[in-house]
Amino acid sequence: MAPDAAPVAHLALIDYAVMAVYFVVVLGVGWGLRRLTRTSTDFFLSGRSLPPWITGLAFISANLGAQEVIGMGASGAKYGIATSHFYWIGAIPAMVFVGLFMMPFYYGSRARSVPEYLRLRFDEKTRTLNAVSFAVMTVFSSGVSMYAMGKLLNLLLGWSFDVSVLVSAVIVLAYVLLGGLTSAIYNEVLQFFLIVFGFIPLVLLGLYAVGGWDGLSSRLAEAAVTRGLPAGAYTHSWSNLGDPSQNPIGVEWFGLVMGLGFVLSFGYWCTDFLVVQRAMAADSMTAARRTPLIAAVPKMLFPFLVILPGMIALVLGSGAGGHATPGGQGIVPAKLAAGGAPLLDGAGRVVLDYDLATPMLLVHLFPAGMLGLGLTALLASFMSGMAGNVTAFNTVWTYDIYQSHIRRGASDAHYLWMGRVATVGGIALAVAAAYVAGAFNNIMDLLQLVFAFVNAPLFATFALGMFWRRTTGHGAFVGLLTGMLGAAIHHGLTLPAGVQPGVKGGYLGVLHTYPSELGQTFWTAIVAWVTCFVVTIAVSLATRPRPADELRGLVYSLTPRPDDRRLPLHSRPWVLGVVVLVLTLALNLVFF
Amino acid sequence: MSGPSGWDIRVPIGGLFTALGAIIGGYGLATLGDADRYAASFGVNVNLWWGAAMLVFGLLMLAAARMQGRSSAAPAVDTFEGRATEGREHHRGLER
Repeated sequence: MAPDAAPVAHLALIDYAVMAVYFVVVLGVGWGLRRLTRTSTDFFLSGRSLPPWITGLAFISANLGAQEVIGMGASGAKYGIATSHFYWIGAIPAMVFVGLFMMPFYYGSRARSVPEYLRLRFDEKTRTLNAVSFAVMTVFSSGVSMYAMGKLLNLLLGWSFDVSVLVSAVIVLAYVLLGGLTSAIYNEVLQFFLIVFGFIPLVLLGLYAVGGWDGLSSRLAEAAVTRGLPAGAYTHSWSNLGDPSQNPIGVEWFGLVMGLGFVLSFGYWCTDFLVVQRAMAADSMTAARRTPLIAAVPKMLFPFLVILPGMIALVLGSGAGGHATPGGQGIVPAKLAAGGAPLLDGAGRVVLDYDLATPMLLVHLFPAGMLGLGLTALLASFMSGMAGNVTAFNTVWTYDIYQSHIRRGASDAHYLWMGRVATVGGIALAVAAAYVAGAFNNIMDLLQLVFAFVNAPLFATFALGMFWRRTTGHGAFVGLLTGMLGAAIHHGLTLPAGVQPGVKGGYLGVLHTYPSELGQTFWTAIVAWVTCFVVTIAVSLATRPRPADELRGLVYSLTPRPDDRRLPLHSRPWVLGVVVLVLTLALNLVFF
Repeated sequence: MSGPSGWDIRVPIGGLFTALGAIIGGYGLATLGDADRYAASFGVNVNLWWGAAMLVFGLLMLAAARMQGRSSAAPAVDTFEGRATEGREHHRGLER
């Protein structure tokens, strides 16, 4: 793809030098670890040998893909500080829960993957359903994020889409092939520090530019009032959540807390193998339990790093640099329609290209040198997300699909070989998906919708499986399927305001209109969860339970509690969990 | 603090940030007083300051890795979990 317009920024030699140093170190880590990958356990689980601060930082970094960095900046420009709900409500409580209550089963059962836990707890069909949907989803989301990255670099720097995609894919492929999960995790830790060091100066300079938090608040108050919202709509996270029309997210607090804070958040952080795999690589049960708790500390502070740039970009004067496109706001340009004129929404207002908020701030504030660092941080976030997807994919493919359905009982060396083949295959499929995303936008929208249906009921299945011993395999399987169906039906019967029926909903007739797409998403998740929860209980009661003997170590009531009393106070999971929750509560109150 | 076989992640992290700090900080030093170049960042020579910060962070990481070095493979008796394991083995008469 050729660039549609002249690139926004040009890199100097120094910027390329910074990028080159990063590439050399990342590949060097893979090279240095190549001798340590001898068995499939080394390759897929890092030999269960990593200390908790490493798995904890990797836990957070694997989730910190480019979509997170770009997307949260975009949401910051769109919703303001309320975007922090995706962290303080939508992540921290679930991370504390998985560490304190669920890790004993994941780690203690010696399952090698999340689907394998489902096999141990329920049966083969439940595992396969989860494994196949997870594998397909990982490849596609990796492809979508690769597509977004290639397009962004093309627009920003005029780099060739093909070269950006292929070079980053080959680098990730090389270091994962060489060192397996250990290499992915070590690089994730490195990428974590790089992202932090790349974005802190951006936020500091940005705040300086708009006159600190006070300056930002008063400028955002103006922006809010011109959109017909209360003055504090962009700078308060809770005080306008009583009425969906009074806050930029367009949701009310109940839908937010239940849909995002409970169903979606617990569904992701407590069941997604991408993150849980990092904790499974820890060197002991205590380390595995502390992994998500340690991860929660930086996670709770990330809003300042990734959301503030978007908020700043919305109000930063375009100044002498003149990067702002006509019709945009601050340095966030307008989305352009096919003819090149700014795109307008139903109410006649310009639609902003929010995804460019953070990248624009980067090229706007950073001189040569730091610009290289900032872009390298973006590349690092992209690679950490991709390596996370790839390592989770190759494990689930090898253990849960290949070993259990295609070739049982082969040698360990054979599965290690298969893992390497799956790494190559997974990345190749992700690259293919990136091109499909470029050619057929609608297919991607449709797929993401299907994944949303597949994921929404998951936490009901896991919660019942871990905490109610009467839950049966048939119950879990039927519950999951009806939960997905429930999500699809709810989505098909509702529509966000101002949208035509189609991929956004309403294809079965419109019974209810939500004020925003997010509101609809949250309620779809709630419906899916409740359906799955109720159906799983009903079917479980009608089917024969497994004997208690077989469930030891897999269910709460049949597993001895981990004894933390002999641990020093500061490393007890409970203490860490409480500290994290109290700090999160304090942050919510400060930005109430 | 090290993973399998004494591999210490602080070495590559320290190396990366030392190199980045030296390159970016050095560039900041070379462009000292170049007002046009730093107009976008409000006259702040961010290369110099942030380069120095990264250099310090990198060197601290390297120093920490070096100070702990091989001793990070602590004898079992020096760690909580090692003591717990030894206690259990003693209790069951499994000591070798």
